[in-house]
Amino acid sequence: MRAVYGIVVRELVRFLRQPGRVIASVGRPFVWLIFAGAGYAAVFAGRNEIDYRVYMAPGLLGMVVMFGALLAALSTVTDRDAGVLRMVLVAPIRRSAIALGKTLGATLLGTTQAVAVAVLLLPLVHLRPGFGDVLRAGLALVLSSFAIGALGLVLAASIRSLENFAGVMNFVVFPMLFLSGALYPVRHLGPVLRLVAYANPLAYGVDLLKHALLGAWAGAGYGGELSPSLDVAALAAFAVVGLVAAAPLLAREGGVTRTAFRERR
Amino acid sequence: MNAIEARGLGKDFGSIRALDQLDLDVREGEFFGLLGPNGAGKTTMVHLLATLLAATRGAARVAGHDVARDGLAVRRAIGLVFQDTTLDRDLTVQENLRFAARLWNLPSRLAVPRIEALVRQFGLFERRDDPVRALSGGMRRAADVARGMLHEPRVLFLDEPTAGLDPRARRSLWDLIGRLRQASGLTVFLTTHYVEEAEPCDRVAVMDHGRLAALGTPADLKRITGVASLEEVFLARTGHPLADTGVR
Repeated sequence: MRAVYGIVVRELVRFLRQPGRVIASVGRPFVWLIFAGAGYAAVFAGRNEIDYRVYMAPGLLGMVVMFGALLAALSTVTDRDAGVLRMVLVAPIRRSAIALGKTLGATLLGTTQAVAVAVLLLPLVHLRPGFGDVLRAGLALVLSSFAIGALGLVLAASIRSLENFAGVMNFVVFPMLFLSGALYPVRHLGPVLRLVAYANPLAYGVDLLKHALLGAWAGAGYGGELSPSLDVAALAAFAVVGLVAAAPLLAREGGVTRTAFRERR
Repeated sequence: MNAIEARGLGKDFGSIRALDQLDLDVREGEFFGLLGPNGAGKTTMVHLLATLLAATRGAARVAGHDVARDGLAVRRAIGLVFQDTTLDRDLTVQENLRFAARLWNLPSRLAVPRIEALVRQFGLFERRDDPVRALSGGMRRAADVARGMLHEPRVLFLDEPTAGLDPRARRSLWDLIGRLRQASGLTVFLTTHYVEEAEPCDRVAVMDHGRLAALGTPADLKRITGVASLEEVFLARTGHPLADTGVR
């Protein structure tokens, strides 16, 4: 579909035109590696099973995916404010094509950023995955970007303005990150938090990444905690639910006309 | 055939009746004006006809397609220029038009020459690689109209197209739209709260509080009402002046 392709191209061009965003997204995981990594590594210094910085690597890639895909999806809010969404809504295309284009854009941005980070990060922590593991990790990045992008789109279509953005960061991004297994295994969490973690798409993405990258430490309990096929199925389910829910929300009445109508009163 | 047919068309927002029950026919090739103050329901009318809103009651056909049943076909046949720009300010004029061409499913071999012709015709050729945010209001609006014409629509909706433009930009926009009409037999559906913009229309519908107060050629409206200007027609038909509730 040409329209879907057009939407993806626009996302990519916009991203590349914001050098600050590129630098922030690639630099962020290294800041975490240095500061969080150093602190946690010191705490766990007595235990020799795994260097904490190695343990963190899949989680950091998951984090790049989350920020990349979520911020791309949230650009829909800006599109609505700037009026661009109306150009898209008046085009002869289905709402589902808009949702798909936006989600694929988020997938492309999330995945490319994570791959760029992986190229720098993995050698730095002396992780050298084999060819099969690289493919598995790639699949994990694509699937998690897609699922998080689709759910991010639902979020973006539901919030009215970027003023809610801080709320999104506090109540979505940070819980998603901390309850994903990126920084510590999910199984150490209490039952309630563990339940929340399993409602978190990033948890399945990080788990899949751990299967791919930390296979050598699986015996010591630092590899993936769920079965890879469950991870894939869960991510696919999140993606489908997100796409189906986002499409009608995008064209929701008021999204287009409410501003015009408000002037009436 | 009529380009637009509305029958008992109406829209409520909650308890507020934005558009009552409107019957309206616009002929093919006609330059039709919807004149009324801000809040009269003009934009609601355009959005209903463009399938951006679902009607609360009544039905409408645009370019022969039912707006409720065949939204895609309606959107394929129309161009719509909104009150505010819909262009991506961070992209260049050309990138915006290419984006629009993809949304309207135009293959490159059609889109590339058409974009080139439009930016030349609209005086944007020199600025085609500038980001939209760097353009003046008039140029931005011209780019918006170019975007609306890219897929060669049969019906062009212009919703308050000159709002916020200086007189010179306004004049050049009307020159442009005049040339487009001559070249293609395009139907133009204009909403405005400026009488001078309604004056050159083939027919004008005077609208107030979601209802049609009068409909006819500007000359007939003035003659039947026995007044000299459309402003006075509005006053005579609605009981209050156009400019009071409008913003100028």
